[in-house]
Amino acid sequence: MSDVAISARRLSPGAKAALGIFARYGTIIGLLAMIVTFSILSPGAFPTLGNFTNVLNQASLAMIIAGGLTLAVVVGELDLSIGFAASLHGILITGLVVHDKLPIPLAVVIVIALGAVIGLVNGFIVTKVKVNSVIATLGVGTILTGLAFAYSAGVPIVAGVPEAFLQLSLGRWLFGIPNNIIVMILVLGGLWLLVERTPLGQEIQAVGGNAVAARLAGVNVDRIKILGFVISGMCAALTGILLASRLGSGTASAADSYLLTAFAAVFLGSATLRDGEFHVLGTLVGALIIAFGFNGLNIFGAPTFSQYVLQGAILIIAVGMASLGRSLAER
Amino acid sequence: MATPFLVARDIAKAFGGTQALKGVSLDIAPGEIHGLVGANGAGKSTFIRILAGLNHPDAGRLELDGHSQQIGTPQRATELGMSFIHQELAFVPGMTVLQNIMLGVPKKTRFGLTDWRAIARDVAPIARRVGISAPLNAGVKGLSTAEIWLINICRALVRKARLIVMDEPTASLAASEAERLFAIVRDLSASGVAVLYISHRLDEILSLCTRVTVFRDGRSVAELAGDTLNRPALVEAIVGGAIRDPQRTATTRQRGDVVMDARTLARAPNVRGVSLQLHAGEVLGIGGLVGAGRTELARLLFGAERPDSGEMTLMGRPYAPASPAAAVRAGLGLVPEERRAEALFLSKSIAFNLGIANLDKIALGRYLPLMNRRARTSMAGETIRSLSIKARSASTPVGRLSGGNQQKVAIGRWLQRAPKVLILDEPTRGVDIGARAEIHRLIRQQADSGMAVLVISSEPDELPDLCDRVLVMAEGRVVRELTGQAVSRKAIVEASYVEPEALMEDHPA
Repeated sequence: MSDVAISARRLSPGAKAALGIFARYGTIIGLLAMIVTFSILSPGAFPTLGNFTNVLNQASLAMIIAGGLTLAVVVGELDLSIGFAASLHGILITGLVVHDKLPIPLAVVIVIALGAVIGLVNGFIVTKVKVNSVIATLGVGTILTGLAFAYSAGVPIVAGVPEAFLQLSLGRWLFGIPNNIIVMILVLGGLWLLVERTPLGQEIQAVGGNAVAARLAGVNVDRIKILGFVISGMCAALTGILLASRLGSGTASAADSYLLTAFAAVFLGSATLRDGEFHVLGTLVGALIIAFGFNGLNIFGAPTFSQYVLQGAILIIAVGMASLGRSLAER
Repeated sequence: MATPFLVARDIAKAFGGTQALKGVSLDIAPGEIHGLVGANGAGKSTFIRILAGLNHPDAGRLELDGHSQQIGTPQRATELGMSFIHQELAFVPGMTVLQNIMLGVPKKTRFGLTDWRAIARDVAPIARRVGISAPLNAGVKGLSTAEIWLINICRALVRKARLIVMDEPTASLAASEAERLFAIVRDLSASGVAVLYISHRLDEILSLCTRVTVFRDGRSVAELAGDTLNRPALVEAIVGGAIRDPQRTATTRQRGDVVMDARTLARAPNVRGVSLQLHAGEVLGIGGLVGAGRTELARLLFGAERPDSGEMTLMGRPYAPASPAAAVRAGLGLVPEERRAEALFLSKSIAFNLGIANLDKIALGRYLPLMNRRARTSMAGETIRSLSIKARSASTPVGRLSGGNQQKVAIGRWLQRAPKVLILDEPTRGVDIGARAEIHRLIRQQADSGMAVLVISSEPDELPDLCDRVLVMAEGRVVRELTGQAVSRKAIVEASYVEPEALMEDHPA
């Protein structure tokens, strides 16, 4: 790490302190700077309550799936199945509601339970069969894509989606806050509480920090890792459901791209506040950066391709700056 | 004396708010074996990292061969003729001996391809000289730590190093292997290669080194040589005040009932039929050479590994832990050998590290699965005070503590639970003299209060100081039991080297 051949100039203590602060708060400073810049450049369109609500509403689905992914990476594993799983969940819930005429609450419960089962399978393959999590979840994700195509026979389900199902995502509740935002706050709040403020969360952090030490301290490491996958799977299901509701249809690859967004948010988050550790609050900040970045580009009419360029670039720059800042501050 | 190879003057270095080095100076002549000692946290590691180009000093001057130098990168340090052998040895398990020797060394090529045959011709005499017995084209898998050491030394020589820095070289070597290493170090010295020898083992320092620099609290406080170089002077300089050696008082303690009983425990290949009884209120030592199967035995007792055969009882009831978690629930605690890799969460706070084994105590309530952070902080504060852990607060990351204080955290984690059995594997490895005495006192206190304590140690002096009774293991078996006045350094070392035939007679399967 430290033998990267950065020039060997000596840094003053003040510069080091500044770098340390930048490594921890750089992403938050960047987020605020972005909001301020957009507000100055487009005072009419950007800094409005309506636009902010809209950004949050749009970003909520990504935040939920990224929050779940955070639990998987906190226990030291990767979950690449979430995007594919969310697509399957979306098409499945549409099918259950439209074709099988199941009551919406029941369909939701079934789909979230399926998400938990997928997480269990991922966790089992990783901990008991001892397959590397990248391979295991990529394999499971690919299978899920196949199942999604099998279930829909390759044809999107668009006709006959009941209004009540659309309202899951489009509806508003308390003070007219969109449901998506309320669900997102509940999910991320719950995850934060779990990881940061419960004894179980201490075990979760221990497994991610040093699995060998956690085991010898009496933590059931496999159980905690499986839990991480299960939560990741359930959050993917929730995102799949809300996306199907928002789109009013189920397609076999609708949510695939959430995988990349979720990973970007999670890794941006690891560069926030803590030195390279994954955490729920960081993921939230990471997702906000991506969401406001996209929104700003939209307002200025930037072409679609630029959004992808931006997402990739922000991720590399933010994580790179944080890790450079840390290593320079420690020299 | 000839021009020194290395001169360091008033080197200072701070990390964040901590002044790790406040001004250290030393010089090393060509071919000199120079000792470097000091308590953990005295600044030895930081100094070495500066020499290696991994950290950059805030102040001070470095000269090599009389020329002032800035060592910007590890590559530069190598070019200047310095090689470093760290405690965690650098080697690649999948490669051959030769490939490992040549790791990071520019290699001869022929038609653009690495010419391994020519390289082997060049390296073979050097490998013979340092005593590498394995063939150069053999894999390193399965080689002992000692042989990996030799490979690292060989690499340094291939790079034409003029100074080799050795950090705790004998920490994981058996006595005979250490002797071989000493011979090689002397041979290096005779051929003009200087060695900076860092060790907590003062006997080694005294027998090997001609001059010794002592660091304390980030300063070089003494340079001892000739008449002034002796054990009391070294200890005095390291500690900076008087310290009492622990007396062998252990024999007088009353021991209670059998807490743990293991019968013919075995797990291939390291544990081959071990029986032992552990009593309440005693400190039982397990001595023997590295590789005798002691750590593996501890892992069996703690449920980290399942035995192939044999049985155990705990408090008279059958005991067959399926996991460390089950062992902890049954009332055991283990302080493992490698505290940084196996015990601690370095980036996490002291409170976190202590709390992780006591989660039931920091829950808000049985039906309220939230953490009582105040309880966690106050529990940590209590442990910090009672074990006198030196740290600014309970929220200090454990990675910032010195080795001795880290070890206290690893031990303190269990004390809150008041386990029936506490197993400590090498409890004072890499710990300075002061902390070592404190940890010993702590261990005896626990036994006095009725805990059954099992201590594994490779340091010959440690067990007689600490234990009521010592079992010596060799080749996966218990070969001798020493009690009372029979517990001595000499007896332990002798028993460790039992001939294989004698082994079979002592313990027929």
